[in-house]
Amino acid sequence: MMRYIKYTLGTIWAAIALILILILFPGLRTISEGLSKAPFMKIHPMYTGGEIIDSVKKSNRTIYIHRPVFNGLIKERMLGFVQIDWHGNIPNVINDTIDYNKDTIPDFIINIDTRNNITDLKKISAYVYDCGVSTQTSFGWVIRVNVVNIK
Amino acid sequence: MDNILNNYKATRNIWRSILYSLPMLLITLVLMSGGDLNFKGHAELYAFTITFIFLNTCFFLMHYKGKTDLYRSVVFIVFAIFLSFSFITNMFEYRGAMTFNQADIIECNVPFCHLVIPMMIVPAALTESIIFPGSILNGFANISTMLVLWGVATIVMGRGFCSWGCFYGGWDDGFSRLIKKPVIKRIDTIWRWMPFAVLFVVVISASLTLVPTYCDWICPFKAVTEFEAVTSAESAIKAVIFFSLFAMLVIILPLLTKKRTQCTSLCPLGALNSLSNKISAFTVKIDTKRCTMCMKCVKTCKLSALTPDDVKAGRASLLCSKCGQCIDTCRQGAIQFSIRGFEAGKLIDLSRNLFIFISFLFMAIFASGSIQNGLSKILTLIIN
Repeated sequence: MMRYIKYTLGTIWAAIALILILILFPGLRTISEGLSKAPFMKIHPMYTGGEIIDSVKKSNRTIYIHRPVFNGLIKERMLGFVQIDWHGNIPNVINDTIDYNKDTIPDFIINIDTRNNITDLKKISAYVYDCGVSTQTSFGWVIRVNVVNIK
Repeated sequence: MDNILNNYKATRNIWRSILYSLPMLLITLVLMSGGDLNFKGHAELYAFTITFIFLNTCFFLMHYKGKTDLYRSVVFIVFAIFLSFSFITNMFEYRGAMTFNQADIIECNVPFCHLVIPMMIVPAALTESIIFPGSILNGFANISTMLVLWGVATIVMGRGFCSWGCFYGGWDDGFSRLIKKPVIKRIDTIWRWMPFAVLFVVVISASLTLVPTYCDWICPFKAVTEFEAVTSAESAIKAVIFFSLFAMLVIILPLLTKKRTQCTSLCPLGALNSLSNKISAFTVKIDTKRCTMCMKCVKTCKLSALTPDDVKAGRASLLCSKCGQCIDTCRQGAIQFSIRGFEAGKLIDLSRNLFIFISFLFMAIFASGSIQNGLSKILTLIIN
């Protein structure tokens, strides 16, 4: 009796396997869209730079300030980064003062020679560590300044 | 003309093989063309036609000749070569180099690959996010599509994904076939458990750093796809590691041992896929009554998935990738693809026909895009 149950279950499972493969490619887009809505299907802030919390409009460009990223696996890390984006027409020299934590006190002054890719960071806040990334992107320029978690 | 082949009681009846191949012919025609047979130019038309004929000829011969591994490996190796060729040329067209830079990471423009999967599971569960700078749904090799393809293939085929679906495996499989006899014959079977140790280390390290550490530091296949632009000492060290491991584990050792050494001793996804062999509908079984214990299957297994103990026990180990080489090698016809729940010796033809239909269909459709793309580029160069 047990043997026939095994045979039946095995045959059903093999038939399901065949159906799964047959519907996989025609239904790939639909299944992928369904999966993309799962709660875990978003890129970690360590890669995206985190959500934008402030923007400053300048004459020919907009500065976007992201929420500082300290995300660890379980709890926040001591050292993280804050991402600043420049969208629009990027001048040969960017010179901006940034208040990343919105306490109305400037935290650092960034000076970027965009032609030669030379970045100079002047720290004002004690929580600012150094400049980790400074690079041209398809939309303009991005920097990631390493900062200490004040919590 | 009836002929009992080694392990597969096939009748070399051309009409039976044509009948068996007909559904594959129709499905590949529809899925490869997307239901639209209007091609942009002659190169695309020729690339489609060559790919279509190549895949279906291999499938037909697999049935007609009764040899699984021979024709599987031809498609598998061609898939690996064309995937790399197509990928690298696309990267040159898109980025001007086969390297990616900081901007590609920040803009999440890095194509996703299935080898990341073992490292993203724990962070996905605990942080509800993916630790990879790719696109969730849009663009080439997006995360969602690759997860669906890998997930379904792994549930259906178990570790069969490593021999029928992985677009890297064809590299070391190919190099392992170039020399007739192995130079290094004795390899300690302990090495076959190495991928589980690598899996453990990369899962822990990726969880702690939230970086896919295997891809970032170890993956030999970066050498034939893309890697971080060399702009610092760290990125230079990484590039040296990628190319050294590729040379050693994908070229030199497979040549010397006739084994797929990268897959056998390093790949963490292979270890994860092995676990799915426990739920797959298809297994490889050994009829101990017919087996003469010649151990040719043990010697020939490219993934060291068979040991004398496994042969005595009448089944392939957890590490089996269902490539079919042991089945092709066995002169007694004692080894067979089997549907889970059935004993060895039962439903031999049905089990084989069903398994190779499912696995080949997956490989053919998955591979066809890369083969067509690569061929189209080559033909465009020739025609123009």
